[in-house]
Amino acid sequence: MQKIKALAAGIAAVLALAGCGGAPGTASPSGSSSEASGGPTGETLIVYTNSNGEGRGEWLTEKAAAAGFKIEIVGAGGADATNKLIAEKNNPIADVAFGLNNMYFEQVKAGGAIEPYTPSWAEEVDSELGDKSEDKAYWPLVKQAILLGYNSDKFSADKAPKDWTDLWSKDEFKDRYERVTGLGTATSQLVLASILTRYKDDSGDLGISDEGWSQIEQYFQHGSPAVPKTDLFARIAGGEVDMGQMPSSIIPEREKTFKVNVDVVKPSVGVPFAVEQVALVKGTDKKEEALKFIDWFGGAEFQGEWAQKFNSMPVNNLAVAKAKPEVVEFVNSLKQQDIDWTFVQENIGAWVEKIELEYMT
Amino acid sequence: MSGTSARSMLRSPFVIVVGVALTWFIAAFLVWPNANVLIATFFPDGRFSGRAAEKLLSSDRAMKSLGNSFMLAVALSITVNIVGIFIVLVTHYFKIRGSRILFLGYATTFIYGGIVLAAGYKFIYGEKGIVTVLLAGMFPGMDAGWFSGFFAVLVVMTFATTTNHMLFVANALKGVDFQTIEAARNMGASTWTILRRIVLPMLKPTLFAATILSFLTGLGALSAPQVLGGREFQTITPMILTFTNSPTSRDLAALLAVILGVATILMLAVMTRLEKGGTYFSLSKVSSRLEKQAITNPLANVLIHVAAYLLFAVYTLPVVLIVLYSFADSAAIQTGQLSLSSLTLENYVRVLTQPSGLRPFIISIVYSALAAVITVGGLLFVARLIQKHQNWLTSLFEYLLHIPWILPSALLALGLIISYDHPNPLVGGAVLTGTTVILLIAFVTVKIPFTLRMLKATFTTVNSSLEEAAAIMGARTLYIFRRILLPIVLPTAAAIAALNFNSMLDDYDTAIFLAHPLFQPLGLIIKANTDGAEGVDGVSNTFVYTVLLMVITGFTMYLVYGRARRRGGRASQKLPTSPTTADTPVPVTVSSSAR
Repeated sequence: MQKIKALAAGIAAVLALAGCGGAPGTASPSGSSSEASGGPTGETLIVYTNSNGEGRGEWLTEKAAAAGFKIEIVGAGGADATNKLIAEKNNPIADVAFGLNNMYFEQVKAGGAIEPYTPSWAEEVDSELGDKSEDKAYWPLVKQAILLGYNSDKFSADKAPKDWTDLWSKDEFKDRYERVTGLGTATSQLVLASILTRYKDDSGDLGISDEGWSQIEQYFQHGSPAVPKTDLFARIAGGEVDMGQMPSSIIPEREKTFKVNVDVVKPSVGVPFAVEQVALVKGTDKKEEALKFIDWFGGAEFQGEWAQKFNSMPVNNLAVAKAKPEVVEFVNSLKQQDIDWTFVQENIGAWVEKIELEYMT
Repeated sequence: MSGTSARSMLRSPFVIVVGVALTWFIAAFLVWPNANVLIATFFPDGRFSGRAAEKLLSSDRAMKSLGNSFMLAVALSITVNIVGIFIVLVTHYFKIRGSRILFLGYATTFIYGGIVLAAGYKFIYGEKGIVTVLLAGMFPGMDAGWFSGFFAVLVVMTFATTTNHMLFVANALKGVDFQTIEAARNMGASTWTILRRIVLPMLKPTLFAATILSFLTGLGALSAPQVLGGREFQTITPMILTFTNSPTSRDLAALLAVILGVATILMLAVMTRLEKGGTYFSLSKVSSRLEKQAITNPLANVLIHVAAYLLFAVYTLPVVLIVLYSFADSAAIQTGQLSLSSLTLENYVRVLTQPSGLRPFIISIVYSALAAVITVGGLLFVARLIQKHQNWLTSLFEYLLHIPWILPSALLALGLIISYDHPNPLVGGAVLTGTTVILLIAFVTVKIPFTLRMLKATFTTVNSSLEEAAAIMGARTLYIFRRILLPIVLPTAAAIAALNFNSMLDDYDTAIFLAHPLFQPLGLIIKANTDGAEGVDGVSNTFVYTVLLMVITGFTMYLVYGRARRRGGRASQKLPTSPTTADTPVPVTVSSSAR
């Protein structure tokens, strides 16, 4: 009997939590008299992001609180956050989403889960980096290059590969580079897009020529599969492989941790950039507060601080001055590959599927 | 007593109440959400799309991975039974020196699993592993990468999944009547004959249930093949997960999941058929407690001792290394270079002093405990009904309750979202998304099939004459249930609840879609800290979380199992023939004669 009582009490507790917490998207009686242009009201905003790891989430929550915003961060991988936003569109829980790149936000937009807006800092960013359509539903925050890095103690710059395609066309690099084992992550999808879009062919399968698909086939055939929970840098340090894909921001710290030296390949076509974006969730009833938060979050001042703290490269032109000079210099030394993102966004799902089914071994 | 017709069954008010509650639950949380998600997947524009089958059939990789998963499932059903029965016998049946220590070693699988377990084995048998280095010293020509592929995956998964044997088969073994064994020995039966003809047949229902679970574990294998499978042996689950995450390929994920689900259900049907017709309790009215058997053949005795202690080493070494490595830095873990002087508390300080602190632990503990108790509590009644009344209606319910085994948890979660993001009459017009209840519902549903299988197996070993005697004396249904049945199945029920609790503590797949933003469970925090996409501490954080979870789950097992064992032991010393204690339900097998 006692157990039944305890159980009943437990259920009551969860129900009570449900009552207090409520559906976060539905009840917000506070601040009914605040005017549109005033400061933050302090209503709790639910923020979805894939960019909360390494203490970013906590740091942002603190900084936002100091600026008068009460935010609750919900972290999820890029694909998870995308699916979650789309699944919840009938009764949205989040108010703001950030960190996802163009490809993910394009899916969210097609799913009808975010709505167009214009932030106060719209003039300070290159609008080409964000939503390219008329009704802009997501705006750019930070960018980072997706690179091919190699062990510079083993290969001098002139002996190193000059481009991704060298990895499988030249014998000395075969089986010496790490290749991905799944295409679920944004980084690997960008590498894929960078290679495939060079072989665009309207008559080819999924818009890619046979030559292009053969490149992908060889990429998987000659690469050493990534090992879960073992960093590429650990494998480089252990001598298992010498090169592989990496986002620019992680290189310096990992070089130190694993005591290796890594240089990056700068192909003549340029390198792909991942651009993290911010968007307003459609159907939030805290729209005013959410927009104020986005204005603050994407503004030059905060983006400058973020760049200082996390070695990122801001998109906001005014924030670049506050970013670390070495980061700015490095990113500016890279040529951005010209990629037709509309084409990529239309096809990436089908590409990933084809590769998973046919080329991954 | 089995095979009551559906009509006569429905005369009991107890059955009606349980039946109505169950029908509602199945309709609202098993059938409706999953039908919704499958319809959305296979009928994208209202028309059926056969695209998925075509794509999969023409993919070599998909077919090969699917084949590998099935091969692993079948092999694992055999190997886990061999190892599982062996360790149960050496800890509970034979007189083996130090069997309590052995038990603790074998019990390490209760408290950890997944990717860290696979990594633990790699530290030992991988290319730079301790054992590999040792062997290479003795046999210079040997291949350092010997521990990979199907063989390595099978070995690791076999040792990792004997939990069900250690808990449930061991519990069932305690119910074997010792007098029968003595009688057989007096008639000249050998140890082997007694095992084969008396002991193992008694354990059948539990062994069948454990076999289905091993099969399912093999089919769903994820981390061991990823870490140890190499190029030759990859399974289908990683592909299912990738396709689940991609809206345009979700039909492929669903189809693959349904194929695995149907295979599991077929396995279930075969086992249910094999189980039918046997009587798995004693017909004698006075039975005595099992006493441990000495192994009389000295050579066999030595060999079994050696094998038992070798297995002990196999089981415990990975745990020891994981705990050690959790104090090392990320680079040391990933390059496999451990030096005792470099061990620090830094990892623990970093994880435990996060701003979120202990809150996610508490949220997860509350959710998991509630879900574990609700699932086991509710299914006690259901499992009893299904086991007692075997007819088309209860079979239908039984199969419906296995729906959560068919779909991956991410799809189950998506089904709940699209079904309850608007007022729905099935739940009294409430909106469930964005509440704290929806995650609890998901946790409960996910654990139903496992709980039902194990509880049903336990009820099969209960002697129905006790119940009949009470009924003749005028006891009511609920009274009989509470005072007679419950005490007998309670130790197993508690063990099931503990395992359910443990398995939900670090859940990510369900929580990521359903958690309330203000009450985020541990799985989400772990993911954020271990993903490793940005910083370098991800891997060491993974090890720290694993050890912290080991502490919690180890404590749970102690609370539920350690104490139950002692209590059971005391009680049965006082009342050696009382049918109300866990250790003394009464055996003798009459195979397929009770009809």
